Amino acid sequence: MTREKIFEDVTEIFRDVFDDDELVIGDETNSADIEDWDSLEHIELVINMEKHFGLKFNIKEVNKLQNVGEMVDLIQRMLEG
Amino acid sequence: MKESFQVTLTQEMQDLFLQITGDENPLHRSFEYAKNKGYEDKVVYGLLTSSFLSTLAGMYLPGERSLIHSVETKYQKPVYIGDTLTIEGEIDEKNDTYELIRIKIIIRNQKGEKVVKGRMQVGVA
Repeated sequence: MTREKIFEDVTEIFRDVFDDDELVIGDETNSADIEDWDSLEHIELVINMEKHFGLKFNIKEVNKLQNVGEMVDLIQRMLEG
Repeated sequence: MKESFQVTLTQEMQDLFLQITGDENPLHRSFEYAKNKGYEDKVVYGLLTSSFLSTLAGMYLPGERSLIHSVETKYQKPVYIGDTLTIEGEIDEKNDTYELIRIKIIIRNQKGEKVVKGRMQVGVA
């Protein structure tokens, strides 16, 4: 799966979790940029990504992520195996 | 995995809930008011009924080390003092990354009628 496609799917997940169809995110986006992005919504995002991409994240890796771009890169690495 | 327990609602519980919350809505305090609104009797506070979800998480699912993340409830039928409720929770999702469970909740009265349905997300702290 291309990085672009992963990014598209991640955007959809963000829009779904934050209930905002026009939400625009970028590689640099992080929790400071989205008001509702708190720890509980973060869990919701990660669980939705696990389900959508069929992955099992390692909590330590997830906790190191600084922004959306790093999340997309991690997903790409895991999908490439 | 499914767990359940029973509790009978008493006037004392209703009074204690009033003391804690200060919610003096006559629907819960006045028999005449409740009858005029079409109810059989004074209605038990919805959030008193929901308060037993704390027991469900803290004592049964998962019990110790539980940390409630979120609760969603729908109050489908009124509950009355003297009703014996069966509070039932069934785990329908588990996430290992975050060590959390998602629980489907059903509360029934002594007639087997569903009075509350909902969902709860509980982490293990």
